[in-house]
Amino acid sequence: MSPSISIKGLSVSYDRKTVLSNIYLDIFAGQLYGVIGPNGAGKSTLFKSILGLIDINSGKVQIQGLPIKEQRKKVVYIPQRSEVDWQFPATVMDIVLMGRYPYKSILQRLNKEDKRIATEALEAMGIPHLKKRQIGELSGGQQQRVFLARAMCQQADIFLFDEPFVGVDITTEDKIIQILKDLADDGKTLMVIHHDLSKVQEYFDQVIMLNQRLVVAGDTTAIFTQENIAKTYSGQLPILHKTHIGKH
Amino acid sequence: MGELFDIFNYALGIRALIASIMVGAMCGVLGCFIVLRNMSMIGDALSHAVLPGVVVGYVVAGSGVLAIFTGAVTAGFITAVLITWIQHNVKTKNDAAIGIVFTAMFSIGVMAISKISREGAHLDLDHFLFGNVLGLSNADLYLTGFITLYVIFSVFLFYRYLFATTFQPVIAETMGISVKTVHYFLMLLLSFAVVASMQAVGVILVVAMLITPASTAMLLTNRLKWMVVLSGIIGVISAVIGLIVTDFYNTTPGPAMAVVVTLFYLLAVFFAPQKGLLFKYFHRRKVKHKIQLEDTLKQSLKLHERGNLSLTNLYQRLGFSEPLVRKNVSILERKGLLKRKNKELLLTEQGEKEANKLVRAHRLWETYLVRQVGLNAGQIHEDAEKYEHILTDELLDELEASLDYPKQDPHGSPIPQKDNRPSFPLSNLSPEDRARIANHQLNEHLVYRLWKLGLLPKSEFYLLKKEEKNLQIVLDDEGQVITIPTSLAERVNVEKLVDTYDE
Repeated sequence: MSPSISIKGLSVSYDRKTVLSNIYLDIFAGQLYGVIGPNGAGKSTLFKSILGLIDINSGKVQIQGLPIKEQRKKVVYIPQRSEVDWQFPATVMDIVLMGRYPYKSILQRLNKEDKRIATEALEAMGIPHLKKRQIGELSGGQQQRVFLARAMCQQADIFLFDEPFVGVDITTEDKIIQILKDLADDGKTLMVIHHDLSKVQEYFDQVIMLNQRLVVAGDTTAIFTQENIAKTYSGQLPILHKTHIGKH
Repeated sequence: MGELFDIFNYALGIRALIASIMVGAMCGVLGCFIVLRNMSMIGDALSHAVLPGVVVGYVVAGSGVLAIFTGAVTAGFITAVLITWIQHNVKTKNDAAIGIVFTAMFSIGVMAISKISREGAHLDLDHFLFGNVLGLSNADLYLTGFITLYVIFSVFLFYRYLFATTFQPVIAETMGISVKTVHYFLMLLLSFAVVASMQAVGVILVVAMLITPASTAMLLTNRLKWMVVLSGIIGVISAVIGLIVTDFYNTTPGPAMAVVVTLFYLLAVFFAPQKGLLFKYFHRRKVKHKIQLEDTLKQSLKLHERGNLSLTNLYQRLGFSEPLVRKNVSILERKGLLKRKNKELLLTEQGEKEANKLVRAHRLWETYLVRQVGLNAGQIHEDAEKYEHILTDELLDELEASLDYPKQDPHGSPIPQKDNRPSFPLSNLSPEDRARIANHQLNEHLVYRLWKLGLLPKSEFYLLKKEEKNLQIVLDDEGQVITIPTSLAERVNVEKLVDTYDE
């Protein structure tokens, strides 16, 4: 099977400061990937490189064998909730319909078919009744599901999540992780930036441990060990309960 | 009466009216994006910074409309580029960058005007600053008309791009929309609008026509589409009324329009549905009354349970004023929740039910705070006092399910159950009984929990064992044994089957 995201020799620096150095990674469909590492480890930069939002110094990122510029529809990014202006005058439907934008040329308007696809996405997320609500009137979990619905509306194959569980309650977190697992089962590719190390074993099939360089990546059960965590978080080791971590 | 009819008898008056309408519409529409992108100060800056362009255009090509227009737009655009460049490449605060660039441009313009005035040229700084809508030529009017159409048409055509880049620039970028291009295009439209409005309202007050109608519209609607339309309409109405006011009171049009548009804004601030201050005030008052009423009902239940429900005891427990308690009691009476017999106060059956709902909310919330948030039982009462009034039925059902149907709160008091019980709960079966999961369950959380255990509506089974904490059932289809906690079994609705094989 060829990888859905292939990263070869990726290096990025801002203001002459290296953020990512010489990363090699293959990401496959049907798996849930957790991306972990300390602050400033380059997790967001990794996402931005995949999304083609920043200039990379060297290396190559390919999406299903092609550069990102030709694959924009396929890849969606679900940002942190804190980065969104929730007072913006838009309803849930307006936001989900954004998923159809990449399919439209300047002169084309959104039509019934687009609305049908958006409605289906809302139904799949269990929030069709909220479609006329202003986005600021929703709970954290509902807001997260609106963005998921938009991603589905875009009919993307690759989903990049930036800390989807920040600010949502435990019940919603359970529901969202279930949705992510279902998407993986459907053959989608999912990468999730994640902070809570205690849940890594439970949530992710694969884990990518990053600290400017790639410390290690692979099966969570095999590589999510105390030793590798120590390497990743050198100097800023988080306090962790032993039971959360795999055997050496 | 002022000179209204005089004015409109002349072409000048008509031209002033048409120009005001166009400027109102254009600025209103464009202003929405300026406001939502937090660029109000840039609007102000651009309007001042076009001055040197006006002078250069005038010097190069005389008082021709197009020359001045070209000069002004160029100056506006250069300003926008400079500001953006400084913000991205120099370590200067964003708003400071705006201030530095536009004051510099404006000053150069003012110096240039005084220089050419001394040399005998006639370029009126006052007209530039406060507008001269009554001195418009036909050429001015055509240019304004053309620009207005261009701006409104552009917003219509590029609406999706503007929406996406304004709401979430990063997402727009991942969709292949160039945020930078849209930004500069908007700056260009803004320069156009500023220059076209220069004669109608003057540069100092253009910013009022840009941001005030948009901010007013934002208070009135929750959708960008309607905000744009409303803002345009408010802009037009304000401009026209402003012009009429000018005529009546013999003032300058620009300031009159700015004052009118601000009045509209103030109206919206106070009277807008949902977002207006008045609405919020009444809403808060309503909530406060509801809470007081519910507290009265709950205390009535507590006193009722102790057998000493009376008005006097209610005052003491509630700490409300006497008239307030009396008022609340008569409202509860009208709702059929309390009853007065002779001088006695009684809680009706309906009243007990309603009060128990509050107690249920209170105790479920306390249980949640202790079990899932991890607070200790001493810190939770105050919080639950607030939340018992807010939690919806739907939320409470969900809370109850996620807490596994608790029977007692952390203080050991019983949690009242919702009155709708299953017509035949699974827990009523005896060993060997056969039954089927009923199609109709109390709520969807139950269905979900059953589904997680591997049970669907219509699944048939027989009861194998009944213990204090768990029940074990055997599924007909696969002979699989499933263990169900008693707390759940008490809530699951089943249909008992009569076994025909045994006959």
